[in-house]
Amino acid sequence: MPKNKTVFEECDVLVVGGGMAGTGATFEARHWGRDLKIICVEKANIDRSGAVAQGLYAINCYMGMQWGENQPEDHVRYARNDLMGLVREDLGYDMARHVDSTVHMFDEWGLPMMKNKETGRYQREGKWQIMIHGESYKPIVAEAAKKSADKIYNRIMITHLLKDESKQNRIAGAVGFNMRTGDYHVFKAKTVIVAAGGASHIFKPRAVGEGMGRTWYAPWSNGSAYALPIAAGAKMTQMENRIVLCRFKDGYGPVGAYFLHLKTYTQNANGENYEKKWYEATKKLVGEYIDHHPVPTCLRNHAFIQEVAAGGGPIHMVTKEAFQDPHLETVGWENFLGMTVGQAVVWASQNIDPKYTNPELTTSEPYVMGSHATCSGAWVSGPEDIAPSEYFWGYNRMTTIEGLFGAGDTVGGSAHKFSSGSFTEGRLAAKAAVKYIQDKKANGIEVTDKQYNNLKEVIYKPMENYTVGRNEITGGTVSPSYISPIQGLQRLQKIMDEYCGGITNNYMTNDNLLKKGLEQLGLLQEDLENVGAEDYHQLMRAWELKHRALTSQCVTEHTLFREETRWPGYYYRGDHMKLDDDNWHCLTTSERNPETGKFSMEKQPVYHIVDEKDKKKAS
Amino acid sequence: MNIVSSNPFSILAETVPPVAMQAFVFLMLAFVVFGTLLDIIHKKNVKYFFNNAKKAKKFATRELSSGEKFAIVSKTVAYDIGTTSELGAGKRRIAHLLGMYGTILFWVGSVVMVFCYSSVDAETPRLWPMIWHAGALMTVLGGSWFWFFLRVDVYSEAQPWYRIIKADLFVLALIATSLTGLIWSYLQNLELGDRWDDKVFLVLFVISNFVLFGGVYWSKFAHMFYKPGAAIQKNLAEADGSRDNLPPPADAPEQFGLGIKREAPKHY
Amino acid sequence: MSTFVYMTRCDGCGHCVDICPSDIMHIDETIRRAKNIEPNFCWECYSCVKACPNHAIDVRGYADFAPMGHSVRVRREEEKGTISWRIKFRNGTEKNFVSPITTKPWGKFIPKLAEKDKPNQGEINSQILYNEPHGLNTDKDLPTLNKDSFKKGVYY
Repeated sequence: MPKNKTVFEECDVLVVGGGMAGTGATFEARHWGRDLKIICVEKANIDRSGAVAQGLYAINCYMGMQWGENQPEDHVRYARNDLMGLVREDLGYDMARHVDSTVHMFDEWGLPMMKNKETGRYQREGKWQIMIHGESYKPIVAEAAKKSADKIYNRIMITHLLKDESKQNRIAGAVGFNMRTGDYHVFKAKTVIVAAGGASHIFKPRAVGEGMGRTWYAPWSNGSAYALPIAAGAKMTQMENRIVLCRFKDGYGPVGAYFLHLKTYTQNANGENYEKKWYEATKKLVGEYIDHHPVPTCLRNHAFIQEVAAGGGPIHMVTKEAFQDPHLETVGWENFLGMTVGQAVVWASQNIDPKYTNPELTTSEPYVMGSHATCSGAWVSGPEDIAPSEYFWGYNRMTTIEGLFGAGDTVGGSAHKFSSGSFTEGRLAAKAAVKYIQDKKANGIEVTDKQYNNLKEVIYKPMENYTVGRNEITGGTVSPSYISPIQGLQRLQKIMDEYCGGITNNYMTNDNLLKKGLEQLGLLQEDLENVGAEDYHQLMRAWELKHRALTSQCVTEHTLFREETRWPGYYYRGDHMKLDDDNWHCLTTSERNPETGKFSMEKQPVYHIVDEKDKKKAS
Repeated sequence: MNIVSSNPFSILAETVPPVAMQAFVFLMLAFVVFGTLLDIIHKKNVKYFFNNAKKAKKFATRELSSGEKFAIVSKTVAYDIGTTSELGAGKRRIAHLLGMYGTILFWVGSVVMVFCYSSVDAETPRLWPMIWHAGALMTVLGGSWFWFFLRVDVYSEAQPWYRIIKADLFVLALIATSLTGLIWSYLQNLELGDRWDDKVFLVLFVISNFVLFGGVYWSKFAHMFYKPGAAIQKNLAEADGSRDNLPPPADAPEQFGLGIKREAPKHY
Repeated sequence: MSTFVYMTRCDGCGHCVDICPSDIMHIDETIRRAKNIEPNFCWECYSCVKACPNHAIDVRGYADFAPMGHSVRVRREEEKGTISWRIKFRNGTEKNFVSPITTKPWGKFIPKLAEKDKPNQGEINSQILYNEPHGLNTDKDLPTLNKDSFKKGVYY
């Protein structure tokens, strides 16, 4: 194998990840930094990369302020309620007040938005969601990023961030490799905006053969959003707040349009409305939170999970009535075709026509992400005008590392962003990054070749492991000296599933299991030194695995730290089977020491936007 | 003598009997027939093809008359096959056409000259050697253009240009026959007597023909028979409504230009 | 699930290799045509299916849970701004759908910000983003809150 060439690039704003958040950041950065060098680095091809590859059928975050439909504080209350009180309300408000301008731009750019025939407004699916024909959503926003960037690098996986050697705790860029050419890429940057993917595939999925590809969140979301800041020593928050989704069985097709637009509902196998049955028991667990409207997502999951465990399954969605209307039938199918084609494939293969059959639902394995109905991610500064002083340290969306910003899945505490909110958060991070540069905060960054040459060896080591180790055996996949990326991934998934609250234990875990899980993860981390990659594609899989493993350690540490069951339906602490507002009405944060690998945990206060007259004192 | 108008086979006839050259041509033809038949029998690909065509017919929405079928087949041969339309607009198609027609001219020219004008005193009409040399040159140009610049594994996958894989057997052997043929013809014209390179390229020409025609079972050679069949089946399926289960083209005006499809598949 | 490539239709153009978000569409070394090298990392996103100029790629539902005999095929026509789907159930039921994918010529109304009006002096220190507050369509300023509205240690 020829020695890998090193390619250098210097820039002002480096956006890691070209998904919704990354394209938003790249686009906006040009407006504020006309003379700056703006680069976006994407692991795949920016035209179809990220969670929106196949498109979306709804934009789930739009206020509609122009028509008086919602105000930003309404969205904050909604998100806070859905997350059982624990969100960063400053970040949520900030995102919500800007998201409308993002959505209006998408409309101008050519994204087909459905319109309400009577009012002429965007067709609402629900209070926060509007319906779109979004098959080409990603190519459209990618075009916007391409027009702003100096260069878009595709097929490069960023594996590590670079730290400044002249000033402590300051970012200096990032490194990675090109999975086509094999070249090593060193990006020296004044600011880095991490806008990479959240984490799928860290828990064992329900289908483990070919079907493991059909995860709810994209299989290429390998947790770089977390692993990159964690490895650099940035503070993370709410990493225990994993999400479990109740979706159509096997295909994990979306149910939003069904519930909200088609007005379908769920039933157990005996045709009963099972949710009511679990009200009392849930109230014992979480108190008054069950009485909030709308019922928090995790509590609806909880009822579902309990019902199935009690033998009431399979739970299904009653569609036969709604699908008699041809318009609703079209919406029901196009909902999949523009967003999760796999669900249409499942139904076609099993002869499920919702006009005649009520399709089954299931709860997924857990995912960790920051842009959907949960908010795991980096602990970032809020906006200057509204953030409480404990939440602000200079620049909006900046992590606890100077010059390192986050957007989208990367940012913790700002839930219910979805696609439009992530793009918006990218815009916010980009503006702040440019301001940081203009304030001369990025002057004098130093990176010696020792730092990136060491990293080069680390990055390509899996290929060395394979080539050398391969000499030991005649052939096949079993080697005593290296493991393949898929072997490592399946081991990671089994550990997280059995010890950290996966589907096998019905999302249950406890102190003993979590500690055992950390031990097992520790052994896995050691063995990851011996991952063997046969080619550059496998090398990419190897680094996806490493990012997932680091994310998993952080998730497990957080899950151990929070001694309560805050989100039944997402996971349970068997040793603390109750919501505990007295001790745990707070956010959790962690920092990993880059030298020792040890995580240190802290509690952070939660601030709520409350009118004087509405507030209730904590007891 | 002008190389382009001199028949290399009639010069060769000074040392090699024409009947030997003709036997060689028959041998190469036999290789093709045998290799293709072996491929078909071993892989059962023709069986699959006709099974599939029968299955697809069940989804036809209309019956095609024999007149319609004839028209579709004729159009497919003239346009899809004759202009390699499946490659779309661009370099790949031009390179393929160069190579395809070059090879046809080269082979036809070879057969004609070997069977009709291969005696020592043959009066070869200028046309045939010109066709032969032109065909060889076109094949070298088209094939090399493809091999150095247009191979998808090099262009879209960034594999190194010098990597040779099994799929290269056909195209490299084809370029080799044409290139060695041209060099042989040129050197033969120089009447080098017994200089060391006098016969080398004739030998290489013979070997590369053995590789090209003998390798039919292992190379992409036989695809030049399968692809036309596939093109005809595709156009018939499009016409009778079965369309390989694809939805029909939308009934809407072409007004938006190209989006992500405007760029070549090389984004790394 | 997974995508697979029809032998008779693929001509090795590389569009699928170029677009696949999972990096699993690659070129076979024996026939120089595309194939799916890692079906268990295929999301069925259909990016390759849509990108193929010859409609040479199709999908067969994941073997773990999708019975055979179904077909979900697509035709994405950029110039027409449409996407057409044909779904065929295992039992023969057929459904067809056509949707728009753009309302404007591709890219034409996406601005090149380098050529747009620069931000005013001092706007970098404000909270507004590009095209705000005008782009909010509210005829009002960007919403904001008094910091005092944030209360610690209380419920809501």
